[in-house]
Amino acid sequence: MKFLSDFSNIFKRYDLDTEVKKQEARKISDDPVLDAIGKFVVEGEAEDIEAPVKKALETKAPMDVINDGLVKGMNEVSRLWDEGVYFLPQVILAADAMNAGIALCEAKMGKAMDRKGKVVTHTAEGDIHDIGQVIANALLNAGGFEVINLGCDCPVDTVVATVKAEKPIMVTGTALMTTTMTAFPKICHQLEAAGIVIPFISGGGAVAEEWSTSFPLSIWGKEDGWSCGLAEDALAGMGWEDMRSKWNG
Amino acid sequence: MARKPRTEMAFKSGDEMIFGTAKFPVTSKRGIKYGGGYVHPTVKPHPRPGSEKTKKTLMREYERMNFDALERMVVVGHPTLVVENEHVYQMTHTPDWGGDIAAQVARQMDDMLAKYGLKSAHTSTIADLRRPESVHMRTSDYLHEMMASFDACSKYSDHVSIESMGGKEVFDYALIRQDMAGILMGIGYLGSIDMEWCWNQIVDICKKNNCIPGGDTNCSEANTAMFMAGGLVSKDVPHVYAALARAISAARTMVAYECGATGPTKDCAYEDPIVKAMTGVPITTEGKTSACGHSDLASNLIAAVCDLWSNEAVEYHDMFGATTTSVFAEILGYDCAQFNCSIDLGLAKEMQTILVNSDAYRDSHSLILVPDNAWAIGNEIVKNTSKGFYTRARAGAMKAGSIILADTKFKLTAFEKEALEDAMKQMEALPEDEGNFLDMAMPKYKKLVPGFNPDSYGLK
Repeated sequence: MKFLSDFSNIFKRYDLDTEVKKQEARKISDDPVLDAIGKFVVEGEAEDIEAPVKKALETKAPMDVINDGLVKGMNEVSRLWDEGVYFLPQVILAADAMNAGIALCEAKMGKAMDRKGKVVTHTAEGDIHDIGQVIANALLNAGGFEVINLGCDCPVDTVVATVKAEKPIMVTGTALMTTTMTAFPKICHQLEAAGIVIPFISGGGAVAEEWSTSFPLSIWGKEDGWSCGLAEDALAGMGWEDMRSKWNG
Repeated sequence: MARKPRTEMAFKSGDEMIFGTAKFPVTSKRGIKYGGGYVHPTVKPHPRPGSEKTKKTLMREYERMNFDALERMVVVGHPTLVVENEHVYQMTHTPDWGGDIAAQVARQMDDMLAKYGLKSAHTSTIADLRRPESVHMRTSDYLHEMMASFDACSKYSDHVSIESMGGKEVFDYALIRQDMAGILMGIGYLGSIDMEWCWNQIVDICKKNNCIPGGDTNCSEANTAMFMAGGLVSKDVPHVYAALARAISAARTMVAYECGATGPTKDCAYEDPIVKAMTGVPITTEGKTSACGHSDLASNLIAAVCDLWSNEAVEYHDMFGATTTSVFAEILGYDCAQFNCSIDLGLAKEMQTILVNSDAYRDSHSLILVPDNAWAIGNEIVKNTSKGFYTRARAGAMKAGSIILADTKFKLTAFEKEALEDAMKQMEALPEDEGNFLDMAMPKYKKLVPGFNPDSYGLK
């Protein structure tokens, strides 16, 4: 088959033109042990991180290991992602490594670490396409939130009952199909009727902004990368209407 | 029926492949010959949210949107139309809903044939409701609903299809961690096992009801990779992983045709150029016309060897020109008129060259679907068929990776190049032997993937 030698009049490779140069991760800590732990997070080494965390726990308080090693490493990952150096898989692997380290610290403490707030996540009833929810869960977890994961194909009543029981700062719903996302306004109406006025993030492949913002409580979550920013706003006490104004429209 | 493993290529070369012609044409009830020399349009209407509230409202929605598309064919003079109705949850969950909608559109098509001579055909695509980590793939109520739905729909539809879900629990875990062993395990091994189990039953149902067993697609996995890779500046998943997942999915999707499915294949299976090279069945593809459902970077190229040309799915709404289903059926029909003119003018290969040049070097995923490359990947898969599902899938992926790396015209970003070289290293380090691979992979993913249940696949 004949091929052109020059495609510049056919398409433009914006990915080549705008590629961000690779950057080295910044130093995590002046303490060499904590710095090493942070670097294992940055490099997403969930298995290799266990030995240095165990070693650190011999001399340091678990919360210091979490805050000054694991979380600082994750903060550096967030920076690299924000600047376009890291792609999603690097962030997920880093979250895996951080969580492996946190699990060891929590075992040492004998209790779970304090989290910023609870977020209930689910994928709509009749919908089994939950990879978006899985990613949001990982990002929220890495961002310090406690995720109450209701999984996929989740009935309206289960979501409402969980919110009543867990008192989260925010709820998320994911849907790939237009005929399953109709569960979201039902959830929001039931929450409102029960006097629970918290932000509901509507996201997923089928979910458009116009529809998401057509019923109370709902804010359109365009992409998973918004998860922590939305949760931080909810944590700060911003109401759903203000959040909708900020993130949508 | 028992699966007959495919060990030889249906086409002798990529150059032999052209749109409109398959090695094994298939004819519908009202006389459309797929792969018999011409390309036919396939429109996919999708109901508006809320119409699924009752059976009555959903049937009314399908009645209108399917009729609009059929009527537009007559208005503008297009000779054929396939209408695919991809089930929403309710249509498979309550099988008589899907069955009654299939019966309804069959009546509409009979009327249009009698009144105008319009040849049309209907595909019912059953929804695979099984989420592997949530239900047992072989015994759950959802499985029984699916098979009941195949039975109900195959009594009226010309062909039936599915987007089967096997291996998705492992794949989803692996994709977002750039773990090639998990991607091979999810799509290449578990997906293939689940397809063999499902398709032997589907083909038997089709035989009983005199229906054409259409095909399957790796939408739930390879398309997830493609969508997450996204556009040129997306930062979620490397595009080369989407390309490798696509090559693996060809080995998996072929299982349907080894079990007796004949095509027309499922439109969103971007692996179908490879499948056509291996099996010779008539394929349906979607590209620029599916921008209403999702974006892709293989827009024109993916039509290069198609036998039916589709639009993925368009939600039923009004547009200035008419309703969406009318509009998209018209566009698809005119695209097919263009393909078919080139065939009758003896210019099909020139037309194919234009389609391929449009997108071959736009993206790595597009590059591997160039007919010559698709054929080469398929050839590696069939050569390794006797070694098992995993081994042939790995061979296809390795070939796809080497094609991308060896093409001097194709430029990768540094990130994509690093990702591909790492993926190739991962695959090279994996055992070639399926048994050795499973000795490693089964305990690994049982530990890492919550809800992965080997018993769902007949494994221990």
